[in-house]
Amino acid sequence: MATQAHSLSYAGCNFLRQRLVLSTLSGRPVKIRKIRARDDNPGLRDFEASFIRLLDKITNGSRIEINQTGTTLYYQPGLLYGGSVEHDCSILRSIGYYLESLLCLAPFMKHPLRIVLRGVTNDQVDPSVDVLKATALPLLKQFGIDGESFELKIVRRGMLPGGGGEVLFSCPVRKVLKPIQLTDPGKIRRIRGMAYSVRVSPQMANRIVDSARSILNKFIPDIYIYTDHMKGVNAGRSPGFGLWLVAETTNGTFLSAELVSNHQGQGAAVLPEDLGRNCAKLLLEEIHRGGCVDSTNQSLALLLMTLGQQDVSKVLLGPLSPYTIEFLRHLKSFFQIMFKIETKPCGEELKGGDKVLMTCVGIGFSNLSKTLK
Amino acid sequence: METKDPKKHRKKNSGPKAEKKKKRHLQALQLGDEEDARKRNPKAFAVQSAVRMARSFHRTQDLKTKKHHIPVVDRTPVEPPPIVVVVMGPPKVGKSTLIQCLIRNFTRQKLTEIRGPVTIVSGKKRRLTIIECGCDINMMIDLAKVADLALMLIDASFGFEMETFEFLNICQVHGFPKIMGVLTHLDSFKYNKQLKKTKKRLKHRFWTEVYPGAKLFYLSGMVHGEYQNQEIHNLGRFITVMKFRPLTWQTSHPYILADRMEDLTNPEDIRTNIKCDRKVSLYGYLRGGHLKNKSQIHIPGVGDFVVSDVSFLPDPCALPEQQKKRCLNEKEKLVYAPFSGVGGVLYDKDAVYVDLGGSHGFQESEEVRPTHELVQSLISTHSTIDAKMASSRVTLFSDSKPLGSEDIDNQGLWMPKEEKQVDLKTGRVRRKAIFGDEEDESGDSDDEDNKEMSEGDRLENSSSDDETEEGEDAEMTGKQYMSGKGIKRQKLEMEEDIEVDLPAFADSDDDLERSSVEEATEEDDESIEEEDSTAEEERDILESKAVREGGKPGLLQTNDLSDSLNLEKSLTMKKATLTTSDSGHCTAEEAFASEDESEENSSLSTEEEDSENEEVIRKKFPKPSQVVSSQKLVSESLIDETSDIEDLLREEEDYKEENNYSTETSGALKWKEDLSRKAAEAFLRQQQTTPNLRKLIYGTVTEDNEEEDGDTKEELGGLFRVSQSASECKHKADSLDCSRFHVEVPHDWDLEEVMNSIRDCFVTGKWEEDKDAAKILAEDEELYGDFEDLETGDVHKGKSGPDTQVEDVEEEVKEIDPNAEESAKKKHLDKKRKLKEMFDAEYDEGENTYFDDLKGEMQKQAQLNRAEFEDQDDEARVQYEGFRPGMYVRIEIENVPCEFVLNFDPHYPVILGGLGNSEGNVGYVQMRLKKHRWYKKILKSRDPVIFSVGWRRFQTIPLYYIEDHNGRQRLLKYTPQHMHCGATFWGPITPQGTGFLAIQSVSGIMADFRIAATGVVLDLDKSIKIVKKLKLTGFPYKIFKNTSFIKGMFNSALEVAKFEGAVIRTVSGIRGQIKKALRAPEGAFRATFEDKLLMSDIVFMRTWYPVSVPAFYNPVTSLLKPAGEKDTWSGMRTTGQLRLSHGIKLKASKDSLYKPVVRQKKHFNSLHIPKALQKALPFKSKPKTQAKAGKIPKDRLRPAVIREPHERKILALLDALSTVHSEKMKKAKEQRHLHNKEHFKVKQKEEEEKLKRQKDLRKKLYRIQGQKERRNQKSSLKGPGEQLK
Repeated sequence: MATQAHSLSYAGCNFLRQRLVLSTLSGRPVKIRKIRARDDNPGLRDFEASFIRLLDKITNGSRIEINQTGTTLYYQPGLLYGGSVEHDCSILRSIGYYLESLLCLAPFMKHPLRIVLRGVTNDQVDPSVDVLKATALPLLKQFGIDGESFELKIVRRGMLPGGGGEVLFSCPVRKVLKPIQLTDPGKIRRIRGMAYSVRVSPQMANRIVDSARSILNKFIPDIYIYTDHMKGVNAGRSPGFGLWLVAETTNGTFLSAELVSNHQGQGAAVLPEDLGRNCAKLLLEEIHRGGCVDSTNQSLALLLMTLGQQDVSKVLLGPLSPYTIEFLRHLKSFFQIMFKIETKPCGEELKGGDKVLMTCVGIGFSNLSKTLK
Repeated sequence: METKDPKKHRKKNSGPKAEKKKKRHLQALQLGDEEDARKRNPKAFAVQSAVRMARSFHRTQDLKTKKHHIPVVDRTPVEPPPIVVVVMGPPKVGKSTLIQCLIRNFTRQKLTEIRGPVTIVSGKKRRLTIIECGCDINMMIDLAKVADLALMLIDASFGFEMETFEFLNICQVHGFPKIMGVLTHLDSFKYNKQLKKTKKRLKHRFWTEVYPGAKLFYLSGMVHGEYQNQEIHNLGRFITVMKFRPLTWQTSHPYILADRMEDLTNPEDIRTNIKCDRKVSLYGYLRGGHLKNKSQIHIPGVGDFVVSDVSFLPDPCALPEQQKKRCLNEKEKLVYAPFSGVGGVLYDKDAVYVDLGGSHGFQESEEVRPTHELVQSLISTHSTIDAKMASSRVTLFSDSKPLGSEDIDNQGLWMPKEEKQVDLKTGRVRRKAIFGDEEDESGDSDDEDNKEMSEGDRLENSSSDDETEEGEDAEMTGKQYMSGKGIKRQKLEMEEDIEVDLPAFADSDDDLERSSVEEATEEDDESIEEEDSTAEEERDILESKAVREGGKPGLLQTNDLSDSLNLEKSLTMKKATLTTSDSGHCTAEEAFASEDESEENSSLSTEEEDSENEEVIRKKFPKPSQVVSSQKLVSESLIDETSDIEDLLREEEDYKEENNYSTETSGALKWKEDLSRKAAEAFLRQQQTTPNLRKLIYGTVTEDNEEEDGDTKEELGGLFRVSQSASECKHKADSLDCSRFHVEVPHDWDLEEVMNSIRDCFVTGKWEEDKDAAKILAEDEELYGDFEDLETGDVHKGKSGPDTQVEDVEEEVKEIDPNAEESAKKKHLDKKRKLKEMFDAEYDEGENTYFDDLKGEMQKQAQLNRAEFEDQDDEARVQYEGFRPGMYVRIEIENVPCEFVLNFDPHYPVILGGLGNSEGNVGYVQMRLKKHRWYKKILKSRDPVIFSVGWRRFQTIPLYYIEDHNGRQRLLKYTPQHMHCGATFWGPITPQGTGFLAIQSVSGIMADFRIAATGVVLDLDKSIKIVKKLKLTGFPYKIFKNTSFIKGMFNSALEVAKFEGAVIRTVSGIRGQIKKALRAPEGAFRATFEDKLLMSDIVFMRTWYPVSVPAFYNPVTSLLKPAGEKDTWSGMRTTGQLRLSHGIKLKASKDSLYKPVVRQKKHFNSLHIPKALQKALPFKSKPKTQAKAGKIPKDRLRPAVIREPHERKILALLDALSTVHSEKMKKAKEQRHLHNKEHFKVKQKEEEEKLKRQKDLRKKLYRIQGQKERRNQKSSLKGPGEQLK
């Protein structure tokens, strides 16, 4: 009898997604205990339950056991199946929460994934669908995940608290990934972005654009911020507006920043001018951090490097986010892989803060789900 | 005597001689000079047909592309593991003898008893692990998976045996390693012709199995029980030069062929329970991919385990270090085979075992093993470590001051350091000398420079062989060197006082020289070490090693290395220095210059003292550094000479060192001095930054281990355990799961300086040196600066660059500046090179295919893989990339069944195969399978079969299926005879594309070919969808027109409801559909058909029923069987085998029994045609059966007439007459007929003639008519006027 790979055990609900995703990819079962054990409302929340349900939908043969209070979760992963799936995400978290994990899993399915996610497209907690489209998709392309069917489409925009957004994500299947060497981010050659507004005056978007440009124009003239005003059924159920910006470099690196207005009944109303200006500053902050991958996608890049062939991959990152740091620890426990971490102090050049060069040898992962014809 | 006509001489028409003659002849005719036919006769080669041309081009391109393999990244390690040579063959074919002969051939040692793998050094870059493979199919399967080369021994006197073919097929399935056949027992042939024939026959058979042209080696005969030396030597050569293709499975999985096993179980546990699970350590070379700690492995024949610990050990059978010589010397010809009890030193994690080999074996083993030195020196140490620590000293660089333990504290020397500066005008790198308090900023760059230099040193050490050889005799080369470069150098020295800005590359020159010296000393060192191994020397070496170990932890590894080198060098140099001179100067000078120059040099040193005060930017000269190093050498040597008065001498030496500084250090030298400290500081700083980040993320190594256990970390799941308190962690453990990295302290982006901090991130900011557009443009201008427009005749003069300006200035200063000249030359060369590169790029652009690009990319990746971790020490490297192939590793495994240890047999290979991610899991595996064409039976679904997939051998229950055209997977009872089919079993997940083979039993020896089936893994899943056909039958009980009521197919109305609308059919082929359930008999339904049924019809419905695969997975644990019974493993038996063994006969159903066939006579009724029909029929078709004539009554019977004789005569005459008449009539009729015919012919002829005549007449008539008409036409064309005429 092949010994079932010994399971890993964790406590607490934090980094639940990482653990489940890595468990699925590595085939090692995972047990998470004490999920909000001391909380007044113990156990898994709706959005986590929804995430687990999503995992169940895209896999075949997964075993999920949750105790009565929901404080303990045992997950024995099956094989990634894919195909056409629809999923109603919880509105407690935005679609980005779910999409981030799907981006990690989608290239390794048996059948190409084509999924419709419904819920909140933009909120203040998670990276929005727009930003993932602008940054994560080009990143995946660097690893050789590309093709006609590789797309992320925002059909409807849904804001808190009503939701009602809809996103279509489809991704081709790959057997192996290419190693990457992203050590030079290049220089920013243009800034693009989109100011969107739903169920508010379309003028809001224009006001955002003007204020954001006022900040960014000091650095580079090539700025174009689109305005997107969705109407009717495409506008979801709640009003709101926001802005996302992405800076593209000469070497194909995308750095992003975004800001969303407070939703109905949450604090004071935000002036679109302030929002525009703050978002532009956030982008500058991101540029100051720098690296070849922006801060939200660090973990994705590191994961795909790990899952490469037995070749050296390198990537230059800005300061590591706490999420990434925990992700690195998880990578070590699931895949026994350690990254070589070198800090690259910025020299006399005016290029923002210190950078970190991450180097690893891929584990020689191959897609075990894909059928050989 | 009869004179036989001798055979005439025939001219040669082919061969080299004939060619030559032909050529000469052609030359004589003035034709031969054009050797190219294409040139001679261009017309013959001109394009005749564009289509054919296109076709031929297409074809050549096709052929070219066909040759391509998909390029893969070359992952062979720099120091590859030994090549696994499996010697395979049926019993009594000479395997052991061949192995013995091979070992003797390579190592000059004779092993009498060979057990398990034997590792030997076979060449400068190659080691071999030779292992014997018997005819146990378990062993054959295991070894085929790890073999790089299989030597297949074939008894030529007998011919091929089944084992050979079985092994070939096993190899084919598991990746096909290189295969070489070896024919033995060739001496048993009496006649040469028979021998030749046999060889040829065997060769061709072998070729059909392997590939045409596969190498088959002949071992002609035995001499004194061994094969002939020359043949074995040739075989060895073949093996050593053989090239290997990477095999997919082997390169993607780490594996070890264990050559040593140790039981680490607590003896107390064994005492209390002899059957307790054991803890075992296995040793071997790591092959294939990278092995990670705590990963899963599979030991074929034992089972799956998790590696509890891995560590790498020094190579017990190392390759020779230097590769200069053509062949190995005796002490490099190592052999390592612990199972056979050969191999000298055994390393353990915490101990070293020395096999002294008896009282006489000692000297010999010392000769054989260089690693013994260490052991010897360990044995012969007298003083304690502390004492040595105190007395030891470290030199960071060859020409720096050696550091004692007491020196470390008082290091605050104030000396000028060098700082790199970039001259803005010229773009040159200048090295500015600055003083200590400014040094902090410049530390970094210097450190880098230092690294570079040391690397350069290393490079030169390795690459420039000629230089090292040159340096072997220090004095000789010194003179030679002088004769080469002396003049230039002298001049430089003369001009030293003058402020000269010399180009930077001069210092590389310096390095080069120094490295050559180092090399030389190393050489000497080695030679001396070999020659006299006195205790004193050894102690010195030991000391140096102790220094290395006890030295500052902050030292760079490379520095360490150079330190030890320097120390050793100094040790060994002492003899020479002592004999040649009394002062240090002289030796150094002798090494590089003649006597008079040394005087000059001494004067120079004083000059330098002055120059130091002036803070001149100056070039670092080779000479002074040499001087210092030599000085140091002497002092060192002096110290080392007598160890009992060490302390005293050290003081003296310190004093000397100080003297050195005061008298001789120039700016350059001091820069050198400081390098060591700077390097240390830089390293410390680095230590503080990077490992902290590492530590922050991964924690320390010990904590790692705790984390790995998973279950042990109860509280926090390993979160922030290092730095944070428990309460904080708790909070963190349940906090929000979000990937966004929020800005805690945002910058104030309105401030100018904050904004400026990211200025260069934009294209509008400043660019790097090499990417700046302006700079590149300028360079281009420099390159293409001067040109003449040929059309207009204008001469464009490029801007004379800053370099040239400087050159001019320099020229003004002095007449000949050799370095400037050199630089100009270099610049010119650079220009040329750049031009050439541009041309190449342009020229090759068309040639670069996709394939080339891909290959280039792969090559680049391979280079990067090699280079990335090269400079790190193994401890760190192992953490990042895992244990790399080629390392000798020790693997600890826990919970091994006790039988593995108790029944251990070294003859059987122990393979530790690494498993990839989730390859340890089980699931459903689908594969494409084909019964082997040589296997006599077909395989039955649900019969247990032993599969060999990946590393594993296991028994499982497969189901065979075939895929229908609509994608349905239909269960098969048996495998098809000659066709592929699918198979699914429940077992370990193995990557798609992996080959496998199936055998029915691994126990005993079967008469026939044992491999039952082969195939490839297609798909892995957690569920299957194989179905089998199920026919439900029913009977009509009421029939209307096309509607019938059917019963007996279902049991309830609910079941019917489920199948409403389903297609049903009768046996006679009438199709129909289920409509609705009926109330009356339970399960009956109404159905419609395309025709009316009969009550006798049987109605059936075809359905598909999913089958389940039994979850049975049983690894073949052949290694756990007692010794001698390892080939008797038997797992689950088939039903047939069980019945046979228990004597249970199958109860056949009555219908299936065969009975004698009794045929009844067929009786046909007569055909009856109705009267009416008969009437209507034509007469022809009417039945002719007339009623028999009824009996005629007697009264109707006519009486017979009896004639009178007379009457009879008359009758006879009349008869005769009538015959004559009729004959006459007949003749007349014939006559008439003939006559008529003739008459008809005549008539016809006449008719024809008549027709002809008429035709002629008509012709004539028509002609005349035509002429007339033409005339008329002509006249009408001519017009009326003409007509009138």
